[in-house]
Amino acid sequence: MAATIPHAGRPVDRRGILIELGGTALVVFALTISLVGFHIKDISGGITLDLRIVDVVSAVAIALVVRGWMILMRHGYYRVVTISAGAVAAILVVSLLFGGAGVQFYMPFKAKLLQWLLAILSTGFAIGAALRMARDGRTAVAEDDGAASDKQVALMDRVGAQVQRNALWIGGFLFAAAACFPFMPGVNLQYLDIGVLVLTYIMLGWGLNIVVGLAGLLDLGYVAFYAVGAYSFALFASPDSPLLQELGLTEGISFWLCLPFAGLMAALAGVALGFPVLRLRGDYLAIVTLGFGEMIRVTLLNFYSLTKGPDGISKIPPPSLLGYSTESKMDEETLENTTEFHTAMGWEFDQADTTVLLYFVILAMALATNFFTVRIRKLPVGRAWEALREDEIACRSLGINPTNTKLTAFGLGAMFGGFAGSFFATRQTFVSPESFTFIESAVILAIVVLGGFGSQIGVVVAAFLLIGLPEIFRELQEYRMLFFGGSMVLIMLWRPAGLLAHREPTIRMHRRKARGGRAEAGGAA
Amino acid sequence: MTGPANGREPGGNGAGDGAGNGAAAGVRPLLTVEHLTMRFGGLVAIDDVSFQAADRKITAIIGPNGAGKTTVFNCLTGFYKPTVGRLTLELEGRGPIFLERMEGFRIASRARIARTFQNIRLFPKMTLLENLVVAQHNKLMRASGYTVRGLFGFGYRREEEKAVEQARYWLEQIGLVDRADDDADSLPYGDQRRLEIARAMCTEPVLLCLDEPAAGLNPRESADLNDLLTFIRNEHRIGILLIEHDMSVVMQISDHIVVLDYGKKISDGDPEFVRQDPAVIRAYLGEEEEEDLPDIVKQDLLADGAGGAGAPS
Repeated sequence: MAATIPHAGRPVDRRGILIELGGTALVVFALTISLVGFHIKDISGGITLDLRIVDVVSAVAIALVVRGWMILMRHGYYRVVTISAGAVAAILVVSLLFGGAGVQFYMPFKAKLLQWLLAILSTGFAIGAALRMARDGRTAVAEDDGAASDKQVALMDRVGAQVQRNALWIGGFLFAAAACFPFMPGVNLQYLDIGVLVLTYIMLGWGLNIVVGLAGLLDLGYVAFYAVGAYSFALFASPDSPLLQELGLTEGISFWLCLPFAGLMAALAGVALGFPVLRLRGDYLAIVTLGFGEMIRVTLLNFYSLTKGPDGISKIPPPSLLGYSTESKMDEETLENTTEFHTAMGWEFDQADTTVLLYFVILAMALATNFFTVRIRKLPVGRAWEALREDEIACRSLGINPTNTKLTAFGLGAMFGGFAGSFFATRQTFVSPESFTFIESAVILAIVVLGGFGSQIGVVVAAFLLIGLPEIFRELQEYRMLFFGGSMVLIMLWRPAGLLAHREPTIRMHRRKARGGRAEAGGAA
Repeated sequence: MTGPANGREPGGNGAGDGAGNGAAAGVRPLLTVEHLTMRFGGLVAIDDVSFQAADRKITAIIGPNGAGKTTVFNCLTGFYKPTVGRLTLELEGRGPIFLERMEGFRIASRARIARTFQNIRLFPKMTLLENLVVAQHNKLMRASGYTVRGLFGFGYRREEEKAVEQARYWLEQIGLVDRADDDADSLPYGDQRRLEIARAMCTEPVLLCLDEPAAGLNPRESADLNDLLTFIRNEHRIGILLIEHDMSVVMQISDHIVVLDYGKKISDGDPEFVRQDPAVIRAYLGEEEEEDLPDIVKQDLLADGAGGAGAPS
């Protein structure tokens, strides 16, 4: 945002600044009044509308101040920015640290986290302005600005390249951290649940990465395969399912049997969708997949005899372990016939145990997805996907069958979506069509795009940013979506190709350390 | 057709072909085009064109802009379905293959016709090596057991090493081994052209179709290209079909030239014959000039005029 058209050298344009400030205020006002201003409160005796005008006004005021600082920075008034931002930061920090409950009343927001963020922001401005001031005074700003942001982009490119090159170490470290996570001190059930959620989205992101990142097919309806997986699973696993009742079965089929079946069904759905839409490209493909996603949801909603429509399918059991059930609440009759895992192990039942089990199941599934993707990228079919993304016509001229190649990408991507779907079903113990709306597809796609197309670790980072942080910062309430949107905009401005976008070759002829020598040889040739 | 991966030493026995000159007569035809017609709505892009391309010869298709040369290529390589006509590929030890019935990618994989494009179509964000390995896709797919076996890594590695060897061989031929791990779009234009030819050769074709390989090359690069094409014909013993505007390339290396104008074939023969064919001179230079110009000037004009016609307007 800071990298707008530089104005240095020109006389200060008061009217332009006023328009900028007014525009900022208007945008922030429109966003906050709709997202934050009207707060629906559920009180006893009905719902009331709580108008939080103070929050809106303070948000607008803060946006004005921040925008003002940005304008001042652009025009080179570093001293003003340093002093004012420093003062604001100091006041905020001091009152946050030492102020009692009384101080809280004068603070712009109720949420403490927001105020800390504000303090950090103004500290950042103060430091940035002070650094610039120390460097070059009031003149020669604008072109520097551009160079600096260039340098930053180059830095992130290098970071992306380094991350990809050391993926083995980073991945190993992340895996070790993930494996230890449930046993770390201070990890409670809530954090474990967030971990499970983040891992689910990581797996979905990795699955979609096959379709979008490698094969370059923009799929806006990935949630359809998630739904197909979840329902295929639920229909066979839950004693509540109309299908099993029709077949005269009273007990669900085991998680470990239903899981591959659900993946297979989702893959078939992927191939079925793939056939008609293969000749489409780019935007058109995106629109058709979007439609397909909605079709699946609407079908699930209306096919009452099979899916129980909006009522959903409940009583989906958690995964069994070594043949023992891990369910927590069982009615007496079932309890007599099955042995529970904790009984077999001689443990006391703990609610967290099921979550820990779920955590490790999804960790294993996500890792399997990752290994599969990394491996297949180095196989001919993976290279053909990437080649197809680069140039389909050239692929045909080389004898690559574009139809089959795209179908495998669609099918395999869908399969992992299906696996993740069955995990979702077993975790929630309940599936209904409303879990599979377009916004889910959008979030999964956002994870892939944000992480950087084709970057496996990028997906992990993006899933943390998009799923983990909003869950951790629940106390921000409606502001979460503002931050979500704002950070997406910032990242698209700053790194349009994604955070860790870097493509590492799938095969090499020369060793990497010879890079410098090779560049010289290339220049000499 | 052959690389070191096949264990056949290139450079072994190409001597007999070096002397090849003149028309295709007497040489086994590799590709036979009969009555090829392509209409787009009311527009007749190609009108009843027939010609042959011989095995182990370079056949050039020339003609002014819009003559229908690239359309012939697109029909041959399956990008268009011809309205009328028969395209037959004769391979030693195999029956004739009728190309007009095949899908584009099958023509490349079964009939083994490889092509390059007028506007270069590399995989820009993949490395040179990857570009050349992707070209060996079908062979590697079989080696990897259609991915199933490859996922577990049985027996695939050796095939991949062979593919890399094949790629290295072609990179050596175009002098780009040092840059094997750089992205294809980082190459200068002339190198991209040659990489595209190398990529086509990695599919081990029996017929190589080149759509204006010398377009945009400087004289030195053109000369390199001539050497490369002569090398491919002599050492790899395959047929080459070539669209070209650059007469220095066409006249030097072609064994046989087909001239198209407004979708019709107007001349067909060896370079010497075509150079002096009045119909060709008329097409390139117009009607009047041939009356009052001495032969030698006419020839020069033909060469220049054809070169000029190649410049994009």
